[in-house]
Amino acid sequence: MSDDLIRTAGGMGQQTPSPSDRSKKPGEFIPAPDDDVLVCRCEEVTKGDIRRAVHDGMYTMTEVRRYLRVGMGLCQGQSCTKLVKRIMASELGVPQAVLDAETSRAPMRPVEMRVLGNEEDTRRGDAR
Amino acid sequence: MTERTSEGIDTLAGMADFVIVGAGVIGCATAYNLALRGHSVIVLEKDESIGNGGSSRNGGGVRQSGRDARELPLAMYAVENIWPGLSDELGADVEYVKRGNLRLGKTEHHLEILQGLARTGVEHGLDMRMLDANEVREMNPFLSDEVIGASWCPTDGHANPLRTTLAFYRRARELGVRFISGVQVTGVRKLHGRACQVATTTGLYEGDGVILAAGLGTRTLAASVGIDVPMHGLLIEALVTEMEPTMFPQMLGTADADFYGHQTAHGSFVFGGDSGLEEANGYAGGVPTSSVTAPAICRSIMKYVPRLADAKIVRTWSGWEDESADGVPVISSIDEVPGLTIACAFTGHGFGISPIVGRLVAELACGEETTLDVSAFRYDRFHAWA
Amino acid sequence: MERHDLIVVGAGPSGLSAAIEAAEAGMDVIVFDENARPGGQLFKQIHKFFGSKEHRAKVRGFRIGDELLHEAAGAGVRVALDSSVLGLYQDREVVVRHDDEVFHVKGDAVLVATGASENTLGFPGWTLPGVIGAGAAQTMMNLHGVRPGDRILMLGSGNVGLVVGFQLLQAGCDVVAIVDAAPRVGGYGVHAAKLARCGVPFYLSHTIVSAEGHDRVTGVTIGEVDKAWRIVPGTERHFDVDTICVAVGLSPMSQLLDMAGCDMVDDPGRGGLVPVCDERGATSVPGIFASGDVSGIEEASSAMIEGRISGAAIADYLGYLDHDDERSRVDALETSLDSLRQGMFAPKNRGRVVEKTDEGCPISRNLLEHGFLSDDEVWSYPGATHAKGVHAVIECSQNIPCNPCQDACARGCISIGDNITSLPVILPEKSCIACGMCVASCPGQAIFLVNEEAAEDYATVTLPYEFLPLPVAGTRGKGLSRSGEEICDAVVESVRSAGAFDHTNLLTMRVPRDCAMRARFFRTGREGSGEDKEVLS
Repeated sequence: MSDDLIRTAGGMGQQTPSPSDRSKKPGEFIPAPDDDVLVCRCEEVTKGDIRRAVHDGMYTMTEVRRYLRVGMGLCQGQSCTKLVKRIMASELGVPQAVLDAETSRAPMRPVEMRVLGNEEDTRRGDAR
Repeated sequence: MTERTSEGIDTLAGMADFVIVGAGVIGCATAYNLALRGHSVIVLEKDESIGNGGSSRNGGGVRQSGRDARELPLAMYAVENIWPGLSDELGADVEYVKRGNLRLGKTEHHLEILQGLARTGVEHGLDMRMLDANEVREMNPFLSDEVIGASWCPTDGHANPLRTTLAFYRRARELGVRFISGVQVTGVRKLHGRACQVATTTGLYEGDGVILAAGLGTRTLAASVGIDVPMHGLLIEALVTEMEPTMFPQMLGTADADFYGHQTAHGSFVFGGDSGLEEANGYAGGVPTSSVTAPAICRSIMKYVPRLADAKIVRTWSGWEDESADGVPVISSIDEVPGLTIACAFTGHGFGISPIVGRLVAELACGEETTLDVSAFRYDRFHAWA
Repeated sequence: MERHDLIVVGAGPSGLSAAIEAAEAGMDVIVFDENARPGGQLFKQIHKFFGSKEHRAKVRGFRIGDELLHEAAGAGVRVALDSSVLGLYQDREVVVRHDDEVFHVKGDAVLVATGASENTLGFPGWTLPGVIGAGAAQTMMNLHGVRPGDRILMLGSGNVGLVVGFQLLQAGCDVVAIVDAAPRVGGYGVHAAKLARCGVPFYLSHTIVSAEGHDRVTGVTIGEVDKAWRIVPGTERHFDVDTICVAVGLSPMSQLLDMAGCDMVDDPGRGGLVPVCDERGATSVPGIFASGDVSGIEEASSAMIEGRISGAAIADYLGYLDHDDERSRVDALETSLDSLRQGMFAPKNRGRVVEKTDEGCPISRNLLEHGFLSDDEVWSYPGATHAKGVHAVIECSQNIPCNPCQDACARGCISIGDNITSLPVILPEKSCIACGMCVASCPGQAIFLVNEEAAEDYATVTLPYEFLPLPVAGTRGKGLSRSGEEICDAVVESVRSAGAFDHTNLLTMRVPRDCAMRARFFRTGREGSGEDKEVLS
């Protein structure tokens, strides 16, 4: 598989992307009858919101996420990421493979502060 | 949208009045201001995404209090003149809230520190004072009994850094700024003695002037024309909770500086903080978040805001602070390299002043008189101490 | 800090298999699972698995789960339940949440075997209560004993949709349709056939137009799609349903590997974002391994073997197994794994339209497009023959790695051979004693005992029957064709249950002789039966 498609870690932002000229516009925004269908249930973002975001200049999954909060809710994108990717790729007219994937981060499940802060003393040099 | 120039690295890939390296909030705000003045601008960003550096990782503070005296005029100007109207100006809600900043103390020593900050603020015309234990709890009933006082700056606040950065980007793009992401910039080149070319692995970009606003990456690029910006990177962390019922509007910080943060328009809380081990450990690559930092931040927070003990963390992340050698940024024309302007080393507090910095850098690049005096941020101020 | 040789994240089939393999090599292994019970998805798999004996063919998923747990306990594997791994950090350190505390634990190696989650489809109305994943429905039914609804439409005709669709019928739900936008059934033909003969209609090349309801699903409209995935006007059909099950694929839950800095690739063929691994599951980060669905969506049988392979590799990596032993162990396991990855549904054949079986028999288009073999087509396959007296009729028409029928027949009537994807052949020279073991052993429920001339005025058909209540001898009803149509009167002659059949009861019905090769299911008669599925054209 081509190098573009492998996201290498090792610090942030150290991918091997290809230049993307944002002044190349994806055509006009044409309203569609299913624009009001929810895509991100947790943050109540619709298909139309995502399509409009692309026309506002948001060409990556990361940008759309920060712009609209898709994938920032409780499930952290578990339910909607694939749907968002499909919509964005379609709106941009690119294959899904060239779109970025949001880096996963801890915690894998929502965790209360009082629990996360309650570290059983299994570390050396506890400084609680 | 993806463009792979096969012509090679020495081909001219674009020309504009100005070429900016870095599409963080500084680069985007600068591009916007230049576009307002009718200039053509190309912005080159190494990452796939706009604003993926510190601009999207910081705590969203828009504060004047606690700043170095040199930065205060910039922060005060931005808070008084730009932030309140910024959402309208950019046509996007940047979630700016101007409901004050409480910096909390639990010990007498903390209060001394806070009094020092308040003094500095007041000396520079900032509305700031100390609150005692009763006053602070009246202002924010969610604070723990351990808090014995706070510094209070009523004109401080917070905003959404992700939306602000993308709002500057969107507006600048609408005004005709050409943003190219995923570009590997390798250096700055001079033509006939003037810095006006930016070299990348996929071609050259040329303008009347070059602006470097690339965070830590600025150092290597400036070095290509013989300029050094003394700064180092510090990786620090932040976390965000799920949506909570509305609790308080103030930005919070502590005398100990062990955490800072606020409740967002969405209802979630965003906090930054550290474990105390960052400087010692350094970051040598690998997983950018540490297993001990978020727990430490949580314990710090819970001591001040006990109610948040039950708030659920949904995500943690880290970001690079570009720490200036003397704690304040470089915002400067580079006299010895005509055509070059630099804006970097914001040391973790660039977001709050970004709207005014964007204007100042545009003014510097255009050779105009600057709205504020920026001589304290000159690139050549760093001297040996003896 | 607490340190183990191997930390396994996920006590599903892959994780447990790896843990067992590593523990048997002498390693100190701990498995963390966020659930209250181990076994991953195994315990809700109430159907019999395919494959061959080494793959535990014909054994129900949950029993395989029990066996695995027993083996793990015997090998000294520690399984920590209610233990959610919140993060995988530098130096193979995990932060685990248990109750109200978090623990820092390090491993010399970490195996991530966290499986996959269900995909969603964003049709209008998809957020209404009543739209659930097929896997979620399966958990509700099989683990919690709760029916997800009464009238259900299943979207998706892959194995998950088909298997869960059948289980919904077994739970007493009314499955009004199987719908798939693809032009062909995605899962095994035998799974589709089980549904079709119960009367469940298939709508291929259809998708959901919208789900309707105010505060819950009350109905759904489907429509045919053209080659550009647009709804063809005028093809809409409406069903009154209270539940829509969505079986549109799985996505690997690879977030821990991603956060740990493993090289990742978005590979649609594997279901989404997966780690870049070698054949032993080693990722790009030394000491971090991945196996099972998290490294590529397949199924439980392959997940278990992958787990074993990784377990052996990790034992070698940490010096508990020498290279030669590891290599021969892994070779044997890879041979076993490879034997599963053959046939029409092999990963390498995904997306290919297969026209003929390996034997040269035509793949039934009717089966692929409607879910059932047509009456004539049955004869194209070597499992269907005429004979005097009782004989087995095997309606197995696709090459799938599966051979329990061969082992089931003590008389050697059924032959598959060394290549377990071959279609079963009835050997005419052997005589059937009608013991019914083949009928009960077939995971696809595709074998029938037929006596075409049992008496002057009737034939008998013995079929696998997994529904409650069990009819009794003498019950009158109807014989259903492969397409679920009532084609004749039928009377139950006997219903046999035996321990060896493992809850696949053998129902023998008497049908008119001309229906001997057409009647394949029994429906108990009802007074004034007005049950029909609402289909508005």
